[in-house]
Amino acid sequence: MSTSVSVPPAPAGADPGLGAPSAGRPAPAARGGRRRRLLLRLVSLLVLYVLWEVAARLVRNPTFIPAPAAVWHQLIVTSSTHDGIRGYSGHLLVEHLGVSLRRILIGSAIGIGGGLVLGVLMGTVGWLRVVVEPVVTFVRALPPLAYFSLFIIWFGIDETPKLWLLSIAALPPVAVATAAAVYSAPTGLVEAARALGAGRWQTTRDVVLPNALPEIFTGARLAVGVAYSSVVAAETINGVPGIGGLIRDAQRYSQTDVVVLGLFAIGLSGLLIDALLRTAEDRLIPWRGRS
Amino acid sequence: MSSAEAAVELDGVQHSYGDVTAVGPVSLTVPAGEFLVLVGASGCGKSTLLRLIAGFEQPTLGTVRTGGTAPVPGRGAGLVFQQPRLFPWKTVGGNVELALRYAGIADRGARVTELLAGVGLHDVAHRRTWQISGGQQQRVAIARALAVPNPLLLLDEPFAALDALTRERLQEDLRRVSADTGRTCVFVTHSVDEAVFLGSRVVVLSARPGRIALDLPIDLPRTGIAPDELRGLPAYAALRSEIGHAVRAAATVREGVSP
Repeated sequence: MSTSVSVPPAPAGADPGLGAPSAGRPAPAARGGRRRRLLLRLVSLLVLYVLWEVAARLVRNPTFIPAPAAVWHQLIVTSSTHDGIRGYSGHLLVEHLGVSLRRILIGSAIGIGGGLVLGVLMGTVGWLRVVVEPVVTFVRALPPLAYFSLFIIWFGIDETPKLWLLSIAALPPVAVATAAAVYSAPTGLVEAARALGAGRWQTTRDVVLPNALPEIFTGARLAVGVAYSSVVAAETINGVPGIGGLIRDAQRYSQTDVVVLGLFAIGLSGLLIDALLRTAEDRLIPWRGRS
Repeated sequence: MSSAEAAVELDGVQHSYGDVTAVGPVSLTVPAGEFLVLVGASGCGKSTLLRLIAGFEQPTLGTVRTGGTAPVPGRGAGLVFQQPRLFPWKTVGGNVELALRYAGIADRGARVTELLAGVGLHDVAHRRTWQISGGQQQRVAIARALAVPNPLLLLDEPFAALDALTRERLQEDLRRVSADTGRTCVFVTHSVDEAVFLGSRVVVLSARPGRIALDLPIDLPRTGIAPDELRGLPAYAALRSEIGHAVRAAATVREGVSP
């Protein structure tokens, strides 16, 4: 169990500025807390950087620990054409990243859509839940790389098996979260809708699904995370262009600085996408945490 | 009383949860246009009785009829709960609009404004449900229940969670709304004063299993009288005292029977 060091010192519940667009201007105390947190993050990044630099200089083996400057240099090299060579393996870093992001996007979209449908069915149809739940849990327990071999045998080595891998990996978190939220829809609100004359389908559409939306969104964020962590696995075979392919090739030629660069590219874009999803969540679900 | 005129008919109704009989047997006829208040200590099964009338529960014994047929939730009766139970993903107006939509009513925008104004709410339709006070939320719940022109309105301790001042205001408004719309109301409460103030008839239920301990018509003027004036009438005080006595007697029996 690792302890998270980025937990803000102030209790999250006491911070009205978070996720509350309607709360207006945050109180001075909350604004101070936010500034303090930003400062804390900057300081921790600086400390990490210094530690990295010191470690690289002490080890003096760029194949083991490449210096920050070397990684920076690779960023420039892989993002431009040098001596007639375009980027890395003929593709710029942005192109590698773009191809990977496209796979993540399509894979998680299919996975989230499928998980949503499956989750609603599991949450409403009793026998289906009994049948499907163990299967979903089984798939969730498998490392994506394990069933990737099967997809290679079935679909070859091009785009299809990669998208299948990401879709199957992204489906369970959404299905499980949706099923749980749909199944445990609050009786009070369901009764209120029925008392207004809502039928079964109307109750599902107007009460059960909107009520489940916060959990569905959490499931979707997890799904995108799973797709992210699976894309490198999916790109170990015929993965160029793609960040996974780039990392794989760089590892073969002991270009550790490129490996680290690939890790940064995938990690930072992941942070960005999660931030986008969180913003969308605040916009789409303003009632989250209220009743 | 012929059954065609009766808004609610209970015939030997009894309801049990497992081995525990919550209410009954109760036989009761509510004529159309009556404001019936069911009073009793907590746990006497008065809410269960209301849920039976709403069609959310089926009686273990006996029959329940509303408007001559077995009750089905959402058909023939509006329902107000103790908690507002508003949908937070809808705006205030959206909550009322949803009820109109289920009833297949067209031109809903103007009707929403009208219904909200009917319960004393103005300029709140666009607001979020958590941005208005608890009393306002309960007003929206009443407007939502009134949106569909059902002949029957069922209310389950709708003002119990509100502060005294808000409660009094809502009582006055409900009294007026019920007089305006002429709907049959069945109102559940544990407050004796609320029962006398609102009811045109009060039924006191005994301790569990709830049975009718007292069935009393309230012969007080229902329109054209200020609330304070009404509460100041000698007849009001007499009814309060009589019903209060019956409720206390029922509660004493309860303690004697089930320690």
